[in-house]
Amino acid sequence: MTRLSGGLIDRSKVLSFTFDGVRYSGHPGDTLASALLANGVQLMGRSFKYHRPRGVVSSGSEEPNALVELRSGNRQEPNTRATVAELFDGLEARSQNYLGRLDRDLLAVNDLLSPFFAAGFYYKTFMWPKAFWEKLYEPAIRRAAGLGRVAEGADPDAYDKGFLHADLLVIGGGAAGLAAALTAGRAGAKVILADEDSRFGGRLLAESHLLDGAPATQWIEGVLAELCTMPNVRLLPRTTVFGVYDHGIYGAVERVADHLPTPGAGVRQTLWRITAKRAVLAAGATERHIPFADNDRPGILLGGALRAYANRWATAPGTDRPVAIFTCHDEGHRTALDLQARGVPVAAVIDSRNDAVAQGDYRLIAGGQVSGSQGRLGLRGISVTTASGTEAIACGALGVSGGWNPNVHLSSHHRGRPVWDDTLGAFVPGPGGPGGLLVAGAARGKGSTALALADGAEIARQALAELSITAPVIALPQAEDTAPNGTTLWHVPGKGRAWVDFQNDVTVKDIALAHKENMRPVEHLKRWTTLGMATDQGKTANVTALAVMAELTGKTIAETGTTIFRPPYTGVSLAVLGGGDTGPDFRPRRLTPTDVFAKSQGAAFVEVGQWMRAQYFPKPGETHWRQSVDREVIAVRRDVGLCDVTTLGKVDVQGADAGEFLNRLYSNMMGTLKVGMVRYGLMLREDGFAYDDGTCARLAAHHYVVTTTTANAGLVFRNMEFARQCLWPELDVQLISTTDAWAQIAVAGPKSRALLERIVDGFDLSNAAFPFMACAELTICGGLRARLFRISFSGEMAYEIAVPARYGNALMERLMQQGADLGVTPYGTEALAVLRIEKGHAAGAELNGQATAAMLGLGRMVSQKKDSIGAIMSRREGLAGETRRLVGLIPEDGQGAIPGGAHLFTEGAARNMETDQGWVTSTCHSPHLGHPIALGYLEGGDTRLDEVVIAANPLEGTETRVRVVSPHFIDPEGERLRG
Amino acid sequence: MAEPLIPVTALGGTAPKVQGFGPLTLSERPDVALASLAPLRAGQLPDLPLPGPKDLAEAGGLWSFRTTAEAWMILAEGRAEEDFAARIAALAPGCAVTEQTDGWAMIEVTGEAAALERLLEKLVNLDPALLAPGHAARTALHHMGCFVLRPGAGQLWLLGMRSSAGSLWHAVAQAVQFQVVTLAERAQD
Repeated sequence: MTRLSGGLIDRSKVLSFTFDGVRYSGHPGDTLASALLANGVQLMGRSFKYHRPRGVVSSGSEEPNALVELRSGNRQEPNTRATVAELFDGLEARSQNYLGRLDRDLLAVNDLLSPFFAAGFYYKTFMWPKAFWEKLYEPAIRRAAGLGRVAEGADPDAYDKGFLHADLLVIGGGAAGLAAALTAGRAGAKVILADEDSRFGGRLLAESHLLDGAPATQWIEGVLAELCTMPNVRLLPRTTVFGVYDHGIYGAVERVADHLPTPGAGVRQTLWRITAKRAVLAAGATERHIPFADNDRPGILLGGALRAYANRWATAPGTDRPVAIFTCHDEGHRTALDLQARGVPVAAVIDSRNDAVAQGDYRLIAGGQVSGSQGRLGLRGISVTTASGTEAIACGALGVSGGWNPNVHLSSHHRGRPVWDDTLGAFVPGPGGPGGLLVAGAARGKGSTALALADGAEIARQALAELSITAPVIALPQAEDTAPNGTTLWHVPGKGRAWVDFQNDVTVKDIALAHKENMRPVEHLKRWTTLGMATDQGKTANVTALAVMAELTGKTIAETGTTIFRPPYTGVSLAVLGGGDTGPDFRPRRLTPTDVFAKSQGAAFVEVGQWMRAQYFPKPGETHWRQSVDREVIAVRRDVGLCDVTTLGKVDVQGADAGEFLNRLYSNMMGTLKVGMVRYGLMLREDGFAYDDGTCARLAAHHYVVTTTTANAGLVFRNMEFARQCLWPELDVQLISTTDAWAQIAVAGPKSRALLERIVDGFDLSNAAFPFMACAELTICGGLRARLFRISFSGEMAYEIAVPARYGNALMERLMQQGADLGVTPYGTEALAVLRIEKGHAAGAELNGQATAAMLGLGRMVSQKKDSIGAIMSRREGLAGETRRLVGLIPEDGQGAIPGGAHLFTEGAARNMETDQGWVTSTCHSPHLGHPIALGYLEGGDTRLDEVVIAANPLEGTETRVRVVSPHFIDPEGERLRG
Repeated sequence: MAEPLIPVTALGGTAPKVQGFGPLTLSERPDVALASLAPLRAGQLPDLPLPGPKDLAEAGGLWSFRTTAEAWMILAEGRAEEDFAARIAALAPGCAVTEQTDGWAMIEVTGEAAALERLLEKLVNLDPALLAPGHAARTALHHMGCFVLRPGAGQLWLLGMRSSAGSLWHAVAQAVQFQVVTLAERAQD
């Protein structure tokens, strides 16, 4: 164990965990990275491309190296950063991306072959032969260059989503964020304070600075205690704001239970959509490293990370040997002092500045640079080069401090381009970022504690002033306020590979090669070398890389420019983006009013849009769906069948101008419909094509009920409402959907009247009193209000009866009971489809958006006496001349199936687009006729009855000779339905 | 005289579903009658509570809220078995009145106001201020169009399509359940 004194860990409790199967222990407050370091483990993984041994570099979410797999089984999660994985008892972690053992990775052979894997390697190498890519190159590359492995099974945990609203969203809970939240909270504004860490405080937790002469945690606790008492403030720890979207909407993931072994019955993560009038980005800054030869060995960390591990987590890497520091400004000296204060021996501070001055009792090598490192799986020593030569220094860890890059990421999400600040030597947020997002503290270069505190408070006041909320000036604690003092050192020139982007294995040499190959603009550099394209988006690499490119091109960094960031700030799991609902709950389902009955009958169900409809009702002994469907069809043709048709859209239309409104909506005349009658209606799209059909019933002088197809129920209602409000606001008409309000059951077949007579309350159903296409409001079963329509989709004498939806199931059961002696049979959507194909009625397959009224054989339904939506466009050139017509098709041999979607050709003609004569729209086996039948569109179909054509299915290489017949396979005169 | 038909609730039961989760209780409310009301040119606004947008009004046992620019929904507890629309139509000559009772399934959530507000965060993308007691909103909830009504601080009415009552119940019950578990875990943390 390498534990120092102090720290923010709870030593009273011990947590046990495993890494690569070896058991270790840590404490609450530890991350996996800090616990591993405390256990003396430095080697945490292998690099992406060259399989170089790697250890932790940082102490936060910017970590490029220490990527591990957490948990096991279906909870196994790859590529998680050990630096942000909170330790819990029983945590299982594994290193990834190696073959064999982590310390003897067989794929490390890639490192020996590295001269061949330079920038642009894939683009240059795998160009030919083309066919090799998919079968050979890609699988081989993926095997060698992957990161972690995903679980094979479905994620067993629950996720959810939610919505929050605030005046001010504060992103980041460090010095600036806490000051901003406190300012806004005291002003009474609605505040959300989100921080990715489990604990608020940001860098204050990692530094030894005092606030008002006391440890920073005291001030933090005071602020949090006050914020917790404010009902207008919401604290969201463990919450990463990962993206800025339009109109002040921020995406955030709260890791509700990632710090627990399992979320139990709760959620693991929540996706928050936060709508904030203003936001303060107080995301702090990320420290830069300084590339030098072999700067990627485990044990070489950022200086700030060394301080964080020592101060917050009471540990230090490699303490069997002293620690060395490599810096180009005063920051490095602070690391040395903090480590010494914790009892960690410091071998030397190597400062690249010739005039550097030691700030404590340690060896200073001024004007020196680290030019190399030694140690196979962990750092054993470094080479330090000064004007007087090169010296070897033994050390177990090296802290590198190359300055700080403000975390500008979110400010560039709306293509806001960061600008170079020469004084700071860093990119700061520029103009043009997301509206309403203000940046405070180290995220805009105000990095000393005092500056960050003051800036957070001030920026919050500015943000609130924009909302006309006056915020008080709050008292801030006394804090360190050292001005940054240093220079920039982008890399140490020399032989050997100096790593810039650790996660994607990009070196200074790769950048030089990109420069040589003229991939000089930053966007080209990024893609040619894959720099900044790993899961960390190059948080520790980008600025250094473009500085190197600037040096090579002889341009300034400002001229060179920078790439920008896009969401997400850190990785977001697809499970949480999905919002949680999976499987049957993935989307809402609509159940019919007779769902209980259908389930009790063992019906098979089919999804129709969101509806779950009974497809057929198998009976004992039936082993194939066709047996059930054939039986149901025959029952309707011979006796009587029942089908729930509630799913058809219903729209209540009322008003003095309702008739005129419907005249304009339907292509045929509706205003002339008599009260108590129903008419079939066709609607056209504005471009003249047919789009929906249905019936329209006139219940009273100013009251109609329109029905639509199931699929178009929502669309037709929306279009009707648009027409009412926007096209013809002068019409006195009101609409409302009643689809769900009424359960509607089709009662079809020659015995339908006999069945209905048993449930109506003294209503005369005779042909004379209630003929085909009549409708009425009546009562049934002793007083229940109902609506009856004598309409038929099957071609049989048929009715549709509607009752308030709550009675639908009971009505179905009553009809079944009352009709037992009549042979009553429930039928599903399959039988419904067979019945309508036999009758030649169009459905979705015919109303496919490319069919005209004439094609459907309904050309005369487009009234010439009035205007209606689509009427004029239906007469335009191209549509008016359309000669394809709906026809019936039967197999010439009387048996062969006619595949749906088959294309129709004249016998002997070539099979190609030029000779295509139409296609098969609907097909089924007709139990009534005893052979397959089909509907289809055929060129000049109405004049080609009895001709034999070819139905070709080129996908399967099959062809069927089919005879063209009337689309009305049964009862073309309509005697049955009027019976 | 034929036997009367026995209705089922939107969730398919013969009795309304009720389930308690910690501080909140979910209840199916099939007793609530609904009718839409939209004035036609010839008519006048009837003497009924007809609030402005966003508001939920109550008078004489009738609740109402505005559903579109020129239409309202009228609700009455305990009157679902009546021909409610006909009664409203009689009070509102010259208005288009349409029966809506079974067009919707109402799920009532009752309990602590704070827990209700936490629940709303997981259900609808609305600022809680828009759903203070006495308010109504039309919004989307788990991909379903819904009306969200807040008759009282500790009471919430969710109106969704009757046919998707099961999905609505699932969405709300699951959110309540997660909330209860998460709060319990936080208390132990």
